[in-house]
Amino acid sequence: MEAPPVTVMPVTGGTINMMEYLLQGSVLDQSLESLLHRLRGLCDNMEPESFIDHELVYLLKGQQGNPFILRARRSLSHPTSPWHLRYLGQPEVGDKSRHALVRNCVDVAASHSLPEFLNEMGFRMDHEFVANGHIFRKGAMKIVVSKLSRILVPGNTDNTERLSLSYLVELSVLAPAGQDTVSEDMRSFAEQLKPLVHLEKIDPSKQRH
Amino acid sequence: MQQREEKQLEASVDSLISRVAHVKNALHSFIYKLENEYERLTWPSVLDNFALLSGQLNTINKLLKNEKTPSFRNQVIIPLLLSPDRDEDLAKLTEQRVPVFSHEIVPDYLRTKPDPEVEEQEKQLSAEAARIGPEVAQKQIQTLNKLCSNLLEKLNNPRDDRDAESAAIRQNKPSFNPADTNALVGAVAFGKGLSKCRPPGPVAPGHPGQGPMMSGGPTLQQVTIGGGSAQQAGMGGSVAQQPQGQPGKMPSSIKTNIKSASGSMHPYNR
Repeated sequence: MEAPPVTVMPVTGGTINMMEYLLQGSVLDQSLESLLHRLRGLCDNMEPESFIDHELVYLLKGQQGNPFILRARRSLSHPTSPWHLRYLGQPEVGDKSRHALVRNCVDVAASHSLPEFLNEMGFRMDHEFVANGHIFRKGAMKIVVSKLSRILVPGNTDNTERLSLSYLVELSVLAPAGQDTVSEDMRSFAEQLKPLVHLEKIDPSKQRH
Repeated sequence: MQQREEKQLEASVDSLISRVAHVKNALHSFIYKLENEYERLTWPSVLDNFALLSGQLNTINKLLKNEKTPSFRNQVIIPLLLSPDRDEDLAKLTEQRVPVFSHEIVPDYLRTKPDPEVEEQEKQLSAEAARIGPEVAQKQIQTLNKLCSNLLEKLNNPRDDRDAESAAIRQNKPSFNPADTNALVGAVAFGKGLSKCRPPGPVAPGHPGQGPMMSGGPTLQQVTIGGGSAQQAGMGGSVAQQPQGQPGKMPSSIKTNIKSASGSMHPYNR
């Protein structure tokens, strides 16, 4: 994700409470081509963009329980682009009928001194990975198909090892709080990708074990 | 009696002429399409043309089999006058295809027997048929009928069979693995499986509550703030400051307990 999505509303002081609506799934390597073809047909007509990103996740541990998590991401294919810093809140435990995972999201761009800055602030890097894949867009929806690799030697992004034999598929929309029609649109789009990939709301806290 | 037959003959010949004219037109347009528009021609439209021709031939056949149609075999056509001169009326009638009613065209256009080669082949086939005997012929007829009926059945009842087969094929080739989905989501959400120090693997469940990994440092120091509740894995490099809820503030007093690595606090304990 190289550039943070542009919001249409002007920022007149304070912050717009942006929520990220998310659906996730995965696709095996052998079905990747068919998925890319389908996405190319379904999504907006543009050259499919591929990206290589290096994401570092920083934790700030307070004395109370949950650490504060910030995600810093930089593009390995465009090394001069600014870093992208993102905060993702806890998923909203709203009504169960909502089809997508909704969480608060704050995105900012940062300069290349971001890792040192975060270290000085007291954050510690928890883990890092390299994501390599394609990004498609359909209106406000963003579909990312990426291959995750773990970094074997910290800081060395060339020496990576694939995490699994599947690609991660994420469908996300950034929208201001309170727009529930978004999840309906996401669900109908996800229907069109079946049976190749099942995009669903996966609660990350349930994946801890 | 004669008149009625004559009238019937005339009527049937007229209708036959009109049907044949239809076939001719269809063939004409089809040939035109094939010669000029062959780049844009699709197989379904070719099939349509063939279907049209076959339908028209069918109507001609029905017309001929019609009981009102007198048998044309009983009629004989004898050319009365053959001349090598060009006949304008004939040319107009046949659209310039037969300009001269001469000795050359009579064998082709007034032919009633098949061509000599065709006659030869037919004789061979009837000899062969007579040779194999009636029982063998009957058996062959029966096998042919059975094959045809099987094929027809398969073609006529496609829906159920095809759906079951295609569903089975689809199930054999799943395009995603839910376990992989969970693993990937776990990796992205909180770094499951992204340990910095080898061996890689999911966080050991025995580790109390938190899944933080060390950042590369091989030091064995364990740093705990006095009164701090949770165990912290060694921070990379030198003594780290435990942030006190206000990041950026250097805490003035840090009590550090440097413990040597013991069994329970092995840094590679993941």
